Amino acid sequence: MSDTHAIDTEHLKAENDKYYAFVNLALLLAAVTGVELVLVYLPFPSTLIFSILIALSLFKFIGVVAWFMHLIYDKLLLTLAFGTGLVIAVGTYTALLFLLGGDAVAPQEIPGL
Amino acid sequence: MSQAASHDDGHHNLMVNNKKLIMWLFLGSDCMFFGTLISTHLIYRKLYPNEFEPTSLFSLELTSFSTFILLMSSFLMALSVSAMHKGEMRSFRRNVIGVIFFGLIFLGCQVYEFTHFIHEGLTLSTGTFGSTFYLMTGTHGVHVAIGVFWLISMLFYSQSGKMEAHKNAIDVEVAGLYWHFVDIVWIVIFTVVYLIEFIG
Repeated sequence: MSDTHAIDTEHLKAENDKYYAFVNLALLLAAVTGVELVLVYLPFPSTLIFSILIALSLFKFIGVVAWFMHLIYDKLLLTLAFGTGLVIAVGTYTALLFLLGGDAVAPQEIPGL
Repeated sequence: MSQAASHDDGHHNLMVNNKKLIMWLFLGSDCMFFGTLISTHLIYRKLYPNEFEPTSLFSLELTSFSTFILLMSSFLMALSVSAMHKGEMRSFRRNVIGVIFFGLIFLGCQVYEFTHFIHEGLTLSTGTFGSTFYLMTGTHGVHVAIGVFWLISMLFYSQSGKMEAHKNAIDVEVAGLYWHFVDIVWIVIFTVVYLIEFIG
């Protein structure tokens, strides 16, 4: 009985700790979105703005996946299950960029153009 | 733990809940799906840069507001899951209502945006930009709508009194995973489809 009580107390404490992590993350995500909106209007080199936007987006992505989706609290297998799909998605974009991203390729025969 | 007992509590031999594992596998496959849609849009945008000028049409303020709303809905969803794990049913319901409300606001913003774009002449058949943009954002919108329906049905189920914290916590967690996924897809779309258009 006392063991069950100890586990329950521990479980509740863990959930309460998560609550503060969630609040902090939510505040950070809101702030980052505001920064992103302001960034695009600043007169800085476009390469710099582009890099910062990608980095901020990546930060938000990882924040949600790791904390809100509990991936840091869960088994590695789940990270692998999701990571595989993510790697294939990024790989698809990279492959398409190599295949069609060059200046030489521009199929003019697409209807409506 | 015997194998039979292991199956009874929803775990398989890898000690991961079956429902959770299947949801993560589904989200991995959905990642590939959205990866293809976003890639197609970006590649065509690079191939035909002068076909359409979206900055005259996009409203960054509205899209940023939608992004903020979706991020906050994710926060409330995380609180709902936590409340369910703690057995606090009232808190769970309150947070889920918040998620549904924010989801509906997001959908409303999207409907407003689409209506505005169509009035301005950007339709599904306006070249590759229109096709890829509507297909990508529309598919995301459908995902949000499915999430809203899922949460509404979960809310009704909890109101019926049949929902139990220890038994249904995993179902809420799985619904939460889906909702957060919809959020992370929008995080990517917001940056690579909207924000980047305004650089330089």
